[in-house]
Amino acid sequence: MYENKYQWARKIGFGFRPEDNIPGDINQWNIEQLKSNNKNVGLNGNGKWPDNFNFSIEERFNRLFTYMTKREKHESDKISPIEKKRLVKIARDENLVHLHDVYKYWNNSIYSQDTFHQRLVHFWANHFTVGGSNNFRNYVIGDLIHQTIGGNLGGSFSDLLQKVILHPGMLDYLDNVQSAGEESQYTKSMRKNGKTAGLNDNLSREILELHTVSTAKEYSEKDIKNIAMILAGWGLSVSYYMQDFNNEKSSNNISKHTSLKKFIEKPYLKYKAEPGNKSVLGKSFASGPSALYILINMLAEDDFTAKHLSRKLAIHFIGENVSEEEIQKIYKVWKSSDGDLSEIHKVTLEVAQKTKIKKFLWPTTWMFQCIRISGAQFISDRNRNNGFGEIQDNGLPKFEPLSILDEIGHNFWASRQPDGYSEKKQDWVSTEHFDRRIRIASRIYRAKSTISGEEIAEIYGFSDRTKMSISSAKTKEDKFIVALCSSELMEI
Amino acid sequence: MLNRRCFLKAMPPALALSGYPVHGFTKDAVDGRIIVIMLQGGMDGLLAVPPIGDDDLYKQRKALVAANPLKLNPLFGIHPNFQNFSRMLKSNEASIIHATSFPYTGRSHFEGQNISQIGLKKAFSVDTGWLGRAMDNAKITGRAMSLDAPLLIRGALEFDNYYPASIEETSIPKKDLLQLIKNTHDGTAMETFEKLSQSLIQGSDEFRARDPLSLAAKAGDAMRRNDGPRVAVLTIPEFDDHSSIGSTTGHHPDLFTLLDSVFGQLKKSLKETWNNSIVLTTTEFGRTVQENGSEGTDHGYGSVGLLAGGLIKQSSVVANWPGLSNKALFEKRDLYATIDYRSVCAACIEAAFGLDHDLIIDKVFQDKKIKRTFHHIFG
Repeated sequence: MYENKYQWARKIGFGFRPEDNIPGDINQWNIEQLKSNNKNVGLNGNGKWPDNFNFSIEERFNRLFTYMTKREKHESDKISPIEKKRLVKIARDENLVHLHDVYKYWNNSIYSQDTFHQRLVHFWANHFTVGGSNNFRNYVIGDLIHQTIGGNLGGSFSDLLQKVILHPGMLDYLDNVQSAGEESQYTKSMRKNGKTAGLNDNLSREILELHTVSTAKEYSEKDIKNIAMILAGWGLSVSYYMQDFNNEKSSNNISKHTSLKKFIEKPYLKYKAEPGNKSVLGKSFASGPSALYILINMLAEDDFTAKHLSRKLAIHFIGENVSEEEIQKIYKVWKSSDGDLSEIHKVTLEVAQKTKIKKFLWPTTWMFQCIRISGAQFISDRNRNNGFGEIQDNGLPKFEPLSILDEIGHNFWASRQPDGYSEKKQDWVSTEHFDRRIRIASRIYRAKSTISGEEIAEIYGFSDRTKMSISSAKTKEDKFIVALCSSELMEI
Repeated sequence: MLNRRCFLKAMPPALALSGYPVHGFTKDAVDGRIIVIMLQGGMDGLLAVPPIGDDDLYKQRKALVAANPLKLNPLFGIHPNFQNFSRMLKSNEASIIHATSFPYTGRSHFEGQNISQIGLKKAFSVDTGWLGRAMDNAKITGRAMSLDAPLLIRGALEFDNYYPASIEETSIPKKDLLQLIKNTHDGTAMETFEKLSQSLIQGSDEFRARDPLSLAAKAGDAMRRNDGPRVAVLTIPEFDDHSSIGSTTGHHPDLFTLLDSVFGQLKKSLKETWNNSIVLTTTEFGRTVQENGSEGTDHGYGSVGLLAGGLIKQSSVVANWPGLSNKALFEKRDLYATIDYRSVCAACIEAAFGLDHDLIIDKVFQDKKIKRTFHHIFG
């Protein structure tokens, strides 16, 4: 039972900053976050996130296209390699969006007042992993995390699932953009010209295994193939989005079929779709785009999905040794509410508050908690500034947020496998991981932390054993590092 | 320089596995090294080691066959990007196992990766790895070249990992500080802080490159020492090529080049210890025999294992070739795996650690049906 408000706020959120107003009724405070969409707090926690750092999907593609066009031009310019490199970098910096997204992610994590909501965003962003790539997918991952996931946690799972699967990042990451029906107009004409085209089952397989029913439901290769047939025609490669709309010679020649605006709303290309009926798990689907909506609903409502995801939520918020009884409580609400996420998240809170099970925190969860509870600012990884004061010419703070995430091996923008980051303690316990924790604790100390190791131990109810270790440390910095790297802060 | 001529004339075209001895034997303690390179994502074995003598290959695959494979024997060739590895084959210090897999046909990366590391038939059934259990039985230490400690070597009495930090303005944590932190923890976390504090003496911040090639160099340097680790695990990710995999050039071929340079680098940095070493690749599954619609291949079953090291005395391609006709394929789509890759892992353990085959299959793989392939690879 988490009776201490500070500990409870860490169990399901990121804890409190020293300057935060501690809510009187903490349960009400949590529940209010369930219906809310991402608030995207302003830089350093002041006001709201700057409008000029918000990008629509269309603008993201436009910026990527501008960058690629300029890069191509500079590559063919008759100038020195150094000058080429310089101009390409300028084109890249001018059109960046993903760094703004990563800032938003950090900023929300360490300054927002809805930290349970933020933790839920991280959980679902991991469940629906879309791995990054240097130039292309990174233009849309932030949109998936903050808009698609962060903006849809108050509705049904089915709705969230549909929006995530149809997100350009997911369709690209799991190769659906490469897939075309065997009997589609596209495949036929490609083959006529001696080129390869046809189905690709990557997304289909992972929707079943990872996103919904899991391998516990014994589906067949035929089911996977039929889902791939239903998925054929959906999506367009992120790197070709604008090119295909702006180039008449493009093999996709999309502007003949639809407008960019319409396509962003419904990324479906009939000429790549597989005609005819399909059959998945014993149910028949007619041809046309609505088959996918029906399929997603069917999978979202499957009993195996409820079981799989109730367990996953329980493991994430309660701990890997969560009891079957605790999982059952979440599962029952999943079923009775027909997959209403705010009801499911609410019961997860209730079960988590009463549990005795501890959870070993993800490296970023630990790091964001450490920054918050010690009153620190952003931590820079360059010797340029301490914290988050100076602003660069492009309006962003002097801080490189991605490299720290890479250092601790937990980066939602990194190239990685679709099953996402592990929830198991043993995957995060190693000498190298612990070495990073100590180094990061030392950086947090220097990032304008406002409270001491002893104060943290007092507020968050550390054991006497840990308090003794803190008091035995020689310097103020060492005391702080012992507090941050203690078992109490790594596991709750 | 190697060219397309057949340079392994002495080798039989395809060696069927048969005539296993009834009993294994225990040799004197062997001071060998094992390096496992995990090829994450599922390597396309037919692109790496194409059965160029099997006419069905060209019927099944239109684009995904390298234009100029190096011919190994009448049946098999190897992708031209394996220059170092080919040299090793020529000098009798490398072997290839084809049409092989861990015992898993489900085509899920995550179950497959788990099985390739735990070495048992049921995914997620234990929390230790086959190499960890082998080290346990041979009472030796290992080291992984990654930020985390891979499942493959968990279960070992002692293991450690290495992945250079690159957080500027921080230095190696101090020993007394580590002791204080350790005292706040229990169990594995406590042991890990203790291990970190002990490893500081050898630690250094100078080395920061983390690509597989640099880590291979570091692994070789460490394993060469008398008190160095006897086991290393390296990972090369991104083999999951569902589209534009490449044939002669492209993404999969680039990964072959990388893998090939890792083999080369290991030999270079292990120096004389190479003679006592075996390097083997693992992958969770092979890929479909036919291309999919996007010039890639989807998740399949049988693939190939590449072995190199001085413990090999005679190069060979070990395979019980199932063929590539539609009828011969597993579930009409994948290369059949006719060799349980665990029998290859068992042979490597036997060669490097001197454990008895019967003990390995009992204690490490917990499956007494695994056959002994030692004499095919190291005989």
